[in-house]
Amino acid sequence: MNISSAIIHALPGDVAIVQAGLATLAGVEVHAISPEGKMIVTIETEDEGSNAATYQSIGQLDGVMSAAMVYHQSESEPYKEI
Amino acid sequence: MKLTRREFIKTNAIAAAAATAGMSIPGVALAVPPQSQDGVRWDKGVCRYCGTGCGVLVGVKDGRVVATQGDPDAPVNKGLNCVKGYFLSKIQYGKDRLTKPLLRMKDGKFDKNGEFAQISWDAAFDIMAEKVKATLKEPTQGANGVAMFGSGQWTVWEGYAAVKLMKAGFRSNSIDPNARHCMASAVAGFMRTFGIDEPMGCYDDAEHADVFALWGSNMAEMHPILWSRITNRRLTANHVKIHVLSTFTHRSCELADNELIFKPQSDLAILNYICNYIIQNKAVNQEFVKKNVGFFQGVTDIGYGLRPNHPLEQVANNNGYPGADGKPKGDPNKHTPISFEDFAKFVSEYTLDKAHEISGVPKDRLEALAKAYADPKVKVTSYWTMGFNQHTRGTWVNNMIYNVHLLTGKISEPGNSPFSLTGQPSACGTAREVGTFAHRLPADMVIFNPKHREMTEKLWKLPEGALSAQMGYHAVAQSRMLKDGKIGFYWTSTTNNMQAGPNINGEIYPGWRNPKAFVVVSDVYPTVSAMSADLILPCAMWMEKEGMFGNAERRGQMWRQQVKAPGESRSDLWQYMEFSKRFKVEEVWPADLLAKAPELAGKTLYDVLYANGQVNKFPKEEAAKVNAHAWAGYTNDESEAFGFYVQKGLFEEYAGFGRGHAHDLAPFDTYHKVRGMRWPVVDGKETLWRFREGYDSYVKKGEGVKFYGYPDGKAKIFALPYQPAAEMPDKDFDLWLCTGRVLEHWHSGSMTRRVPELYKSFPDAVVWMHPKDAEKRGIKRNDVVKVSTRRGEIELRVDTKGRNKMPEGLIFVPFFDEHRLVNKLTLDATCPISKETDFKKCAAKVVKA
Repeated sequence: MNISSAIIHALPGDVAIVQAGLATLAGVEVHAISPEGKMIVTIETEDEGSNAATYQSIGQLDGVMSAAMVYHQSESEPYKEI
Repeated sequence: MKLTRREFIKTNAIAAAAATAGMSIPGVALAVPPQSQDGVRWDKGVCRYCGTGCGVLVGVKDGRVVATQGDPDAPVNKGLNCVKGYFLSKIQYGKDRLTKPLLRMKDGKFDKNGEFAQISWDAAFDIMAEKVKATLKEPTQGANGVAMFGSGQWTVWEGYAAVKLMKAGFRSNSIDPNARHCMASAVAGFMRTFGIDEPMGCYDDAEHADVFALWGSNMAEMHPILWSRITNRRLTANHVKIHVLSTFTHRSCELADNELIFKPQSDLAILNYICNYIIQNKAVNQEFVKKNVGFFQGVTDIGYGLRPNHPLEQVANNNGYPGADGKPKGDPNKHTPISFEDFAKFVSEYTLDKAHEISGVPKDRLEALAKAYADPKVKVTSYWTMGFNQHTRGTWVNNMIYNVHLLTGKISEPGNSPFSLTGQPSACGTAREVGTFAHRLPADMVIFNPKHREMTEKLWKLPEGALSAQMGYHAVAQSRMLKDGKIGFYWTSTTNNMQAGPNINGEIYPGWRNPKAFVVVSDVYPTVSAMSADLILPCAMWMEKEGMFGNAERRGQMWRQQVKAPGESRSDLWQYMEFSKRFKVEEVWPADLLAKAPELAGKTLYDVLYANGQVNKFPKEEAAKVNAHAWAGYTNDESEAFGFYVQKGLFEEYAGFGRGHAHDLAPFDTYHKVRGMRWPVVDGKETLWRFREGYDSYVKKGEGVKFYGYPDGKAKIFALPYQPAAEMPDKDFDLWLCTGRVLEHWHSGSMTRRVPELYKSFPDAVVWMHPKDAEKRGIKRNDVVKVSTRRGEIELRVDTKGRNKMPEGLIFVPFFDEHRLVNKLTLDATCPISKETDFKKCAAKVVKA
């Protein structure tokens, strides 16, 4: 499993549109939105190919001004307790 | 409460993003620092791709780079990564890495038409040395017939070692970097306007500007991390506005408050209109201009950098080419002083009406842009990339953007910044600062200047006259001279000119395959260039060697060698130094030169250039000492091979050129500890804004602003006209063809096309065109079409929407795809001053395939 996080910039007026767009993408979760339209999202996918594809899709969404990756890790035993 | 690994990692991911974005999320904190995870060793590094110079943390496990992440401590990117940077850990591990030297052979020996076969390094150097010596002896070739084509992706010491080998060793000035295709116009622009190279501002301008103007730059795709800083500024400060100038609509336009889509080449007219607007509206910063600026008129019939027999060159009287009498026809760089009034009169014809007519941009948009530049209360940062630089008037257009900033005094202070972006990680650090251009020496010095040669000879401990004053062949001239048989030995490295250079069909391919030339390609993958060579040398790349890059804001950054290169591949640095052992001074220098330094008799070029008491000054144990803060017992492959800390020795000798001359670099050891420093570094302090008192220690107290690149302390404003492009659409070839890049791929794709995720996300190049242009030709989206110019044709699919929206009459094709070589179509017309090719404008047609 691949888990990564990204910061997305939306125009403040477009936050709702971007949120709606993000909701259509599997494995994407929004964790915080700043008043200026900055969003913290995580992307969880089974393999790296779809991780990249999801990242691309985010960049193409209406209202998204920029999307930048921050953190990435792949994990072979995601459900193991620590 | 129990956590699964998934939840744990997710929390870390959120915390890292929140910290980077400067947001706090209740209950979320970084669980563990990355250092302690899974036996992965993390160390600081620098991204391998563009000129932004993002810091990355590199994770190594079992001798392999297994992970990278944006470096939260790096001031450039503050923890962010673009999608290319995100997959950096994979660029070294493409399945087709070259690991052994390969020579074209038939019946056990070299044959230009033979098949590639594995040979030893020893055998490779044998035949290379034989070819160099033969070229030096051949009267039609000689020293400048030994040529090298290098790179803005060379590390600083690789470029430095290469310059020494070529200019001092072989006494050839025919060394040029691929940066010639990329920012030579920016260099020539800086040198002409300021007398010193590289931007006065820095990335911090992004947090201070009120207005950003992008000129021929799609930062959203090509400099995404800098773009995120601009986006952040635009979205957090309500008054901030963005103007985007381009010949077509692209991703950066989505954030634009003012989008100006202009006809190709008309940027020249728009810039003159802005100057005229500033003058007409009394917005000239009189005090600044009086004290800091001189006015000049440049010569205008300078040609288009085409071959001398081209009709456009025959009518140009200032192209510098030999005329009928054999003497050069004028000098394209010539300019004479004029008054402010002369300049005002010159630009007065560029009215709003005229600028609109030439450019096709609506008048209100032109005016909004001019107003932003003119308003003394508005801080403006201008960014440009290839739209300006790859231009047959590239030097002019660089001069002309400075005209605007100089007239208003909006320069050299936070937020007021004309800023030339670069496309390669060390275009500034290596190509420009080290001086790997045909005409250059380190620290902005040039081969034509006897004082510069003398200083270089002293610093290199060479006899007087060791350096040649004869101009070498620049990038485009190299292709032509290969075709004409004037270059006998050609060595390219860290670049892919058979894909990225202009007019492949007409010049480059016939040049490389000319039986009179022996072509060596040093690379890590079998690129189009490698497959067109006679000999391929396998290289170490990125984290397989110790390196230093210099980014676009004058920031030098170093990294340690993290892993070993595969098989027999070796760094370029090792290749140049080891190869130099094959030559005795007597074999390459004339007797009269050697007579001036009898102590060098019998020595090899290696002894003279690298074991000269300076480069080999630091014992190899020094590597462990300098890097002890990172890990115990550090060393690198070159230091092990040659027995001294090669990188430190080369760096310190090189730094001797710039220290005290406004190009000061910090001590070597410092760079291994910090996240880069911006030169000039004086008394341990970096310089954020040059030429201004309080920021730049070269400007004395009370001087305010001083453009010290010129002896009179003044910058130059140039009166230069709008002129048409070298080739324009006509009835046979009715469309403008513009080439460029896409977010997912870096340049010719030799790295990014080997990252499966990036390859899949953008596998093949397409041609973008306007839906009406497609319809007129009976073409639908996704149809395969034939795009052709007078030089060649390629087939690819059409896109009429998506990220790039073309105006009617213009098509765009990216150059990353080795199966669809758009540079078979491009014209090798260059700026006659900078010699940089215009990849943005030629005439093409499109028909259904």
